[in-house]
Amino acid sequence: MNISPIFEARGIEKVFPGVRALDGVSLSLLPGSIHALLGENGAGKSTLIKVITGVHRPTAGQLLLGGEEIHLSSTHDAIAKGIGVVHQERNLIPRFSVAENIHLEQLGGHALQPINYAELNRKARRWLEELQFDVDPATPVYELSVAKMQLVEIAKALSLQSRVLLLDEPTASLTSGETDTLFTILRRLRDNGVSLVFVSHKLEEVQEICDRVTVLRDGVNACESQPTAGLSRQDLVRLMIGRGENGGSWRKRDVAANPVALELRNVATAIGHRGIDLSVRKGEILGLYGLVGAGRTELAKAIMGRIAVTGGEVLVEGQQVRITSVADAIHRHGLGYVSEDRKTEGLVLPHSVLANAGIVIWRKLAGFLGDLSDAAVQRSVVPYLEQLEVKTPSLAQIVGNLSGGNQQKISVAKWLAAGVKVLIVDEPSVGIDIKTKAYLHDLLRDLANQGTAVVVITSDMPEMVALADRIVVMNDYRVQGEVENTGVYDTMSYAIMSLIHREEEVRAVEPA
Amino acid sequence: MVKSSFLSRLSRADWFGPLLAVLITVAIIRTFSPNFLSAFNIQTLLLAIAVNVLIAFSQMIIIAIGQMNLSVGAIGGLSAIAFAGMIEVWGVPAPYAAIAALLAGVACGVLNGVLISVTGISAFVITLATLSIYKGINLGITHAQPFYGVPESVKALGTAALIGPVPMLILPTLIAAAALWFLLARLPAGRFILAVGGNEHAASLSGISVRKVVILAHAISGLLAACAGILLVARLQIGQPSIGDDWLILSFAAPVIGGAVLAGGHVSVAATSLGVVIVALITQALVLFSIDPFLVQVVLGSLILAAVGINRLRQVRLASGRA
Repeated sequence: MNISPIFEARGIEKVFPGVRALDGVSLSLLPGSIHALLGENGAGKSTLIKVITGVHRPTAGQLLLGGEEIHLSSTHDAIAKGIGVVHQERNLIPRFSVAENIHLEQLGGHALQPINYAELNRKARRWLEELQFDVDPATPVYELSVAKMQLVEIAKALSLQSRVLLLDEPTASLTSGETDTLFTILRRLRDNGVSLVFVSHKLEEVQEICDRVTVLRDGVNACESQPTAGLSRQDLVRLMIGRGENGGSWRKRDVAANPVALELRNVATAIGHRGIDLSVRKGEILGLYGLVGAGRTELAKAIMGRIAVTGGEVLVEGQQVRITSVADAIHRHGLGYVSEDRKTEGLVLPHSVLANAGIVIWRKLAGFLGDLSDAAVQRSVVPYLEQLEVKTPSLAQIVGNLSGGNQQKISVAKWLAAGVKVLIVDEPSVGIDIKTKAYLHDLLRDLANQGTAVVVITSDMPEMVALADRIVVMNDYRVQGEVENTGVYDTMSYAIMSLIHREEEVRAVEPA
Repeated sequence: MVKSSFLSRLSRADWFGPLLAVLITVAIIRTFSPNFLSAFNIQTLLLAIAVNVLIAFSQMIIIAIGQMNLSVGAIGGLSAIAFAGMIEVWGVPAPYAAIAALLAGVACGVLNGVLISVTGISAFVITLATLSIYKGINLGITHAQPFYGVPESVKALGTAALIGPVPMLILPTLIAAAALWFLLARLPAGRFILAVGGNEHAASLSGISVRKVVILAHAISGLLAACAGILLVARLQIGQPSIGDDWLILSFAAPVIGGAVLAGGHVSVAATSLGVVIVALITQALVLFSIDPFLVQVVLGSLILAAVGINRLRQVRLASGRA
């Protein structure tokens, strides 16, 4: 190919105090191409993105844009040169309108020149139309769904005339339908000559839309800007983790004889669930699949007593119960919930590993006067931390300093220590690399084998098929149906999607 | 998407609740005390409101960036005695003294902003320290003795009427309110202030200089506090060193009653002004009904709690309306 790269990074090194995050990484982007950037957590992807977008300055190495060396001293610099980025975390001002968020960078050449909102909305509409995204530009963004906010961020990057656009895990919080829409948009941008960098942990997606790939491992290139054609999923995994993936770990587990651990009968909740029937047996892994907004997380919170159950029956081990608080759910009924949002709901990031892992059992361990010894907590939690292979220099380590995978392990360990009978795990592998994900799946399987009833909520279809014994499909706060997992991805995904689809057909017939 | 009805949109506007509260309060006081709306009473009320709105704005602009400024009173006091002192001791003509005092206020604000954004230490700690420094300079200059040599022209301004019972002193406040509204709603500089308060990380990734914005907000805060101090000199007719000592609670109460989000990113000029009006009305009512003035503090505290509670309820309703 004779097309010259629009952007190149050559021999980038980045040294932080005590850590060499990047050690001579290279990457070259072609115009009109979608380039995958892969690597496990800690491999250096984020650092590389930050170097390319002007957040960090490289310790050594060159950045070339259109063949000329550039020096980026700020994010503003990168933006001005046409390097846009959609970060993993939402970077919008909630109270501002869609149009204002899109044009935040260019609100006016002059800080004291009044903003013309009509003009701003008109300009914004152009980018929204390009994305075929139907929203009033005057809407404040806090009224939008997560997926729509993401589209606003892409529109924002486009409005900067980005020639290079980096997308850091853009699909992490999207459903498969929303992902398809996003991909259509990305392909169109590619065809218009934009050079896209796509960061994702989902290899199916990478294979679907990326034409070239760079893999990082431990701060160096495991492969540099290779065409994806001819690389199989196994090849990619091998490049990322230096060994093959334990494929086909799903196996049939027979749990039909086990007693039911948790059952919902015709349950309704204060926020709109109606007629929810589901049950999970001891030792079973029940998958709860649905699109984002289907009400799965909310259902979990209702089971845990955070949201009021207004109708139907909840049975724990066959006994009808009324759970009115989370404390009740944990201590009286043995239910545990691993939040999808471990950073804000699951863990106390500034506290130590020991404090986080022990927090749910403090009440149980406290002595006569409410006193609590570290030794007692250690005795209870250390076995679980060891079982989960949590990698931490010490129990006093601050959890916020650990990797995402280790944080997730700690949020699981604390429930194991609490000895729960039913564990609900919400989006267990968001932001976790492949190796840790595999460990986590093994762990959940081990847990189930030891008799815990596990409910897994995930929007990641391959994960669902790899993990669940039975899959309950939800849509619009209702249960759509249930399928027995056969472990065969194609037939399962078809069965699940047709369950979700059935709803839409029914709804189309129903008068509005 | 559900189109919200006119009424529910109205009830979501920040100024709607406080306005309702103002009307109800006036109606209630009126029934018990028919001469409440006398020209004299209205004038007294407006005089208090004119200065207090500036004090509230001075805090509001800092709340907008998600910080707090404990030194608003100290800056106001220092500017006030600088104004009166320059006239009395150096014989500076009043208009120049006023400009110099306003600049002193801006300088104090800029110092706050620079210290906060350069050191990265929380605004609470920095302004707690500068509160003490500014107040100390004030007492060092005055030895706690007032400047009495306020010229007649300034005194006249403090008592002059604009039209009927409306005092002249309200004019600078109205100008400040209009300018602040325009800044926060229409000018990029003001939108940057709200953007930094709404999501500092996102703002900085969008190429906004957070440091400049923080310094700007503190400069405006200093300017407004100084303006309030100077108006108080005109109203009290002396350069009192204790000016500003009792501003702090009010400065937070009014924006909070006006629905400001203390985490930053959302304030309302109109609702904050109405917050001041509510506080003034209730204070006035307690005086009219000859209730112990110490109760004013208790009532003010209760008002803050009630306002925070109502804001919280509204947030919960907004969130559940979305689910």
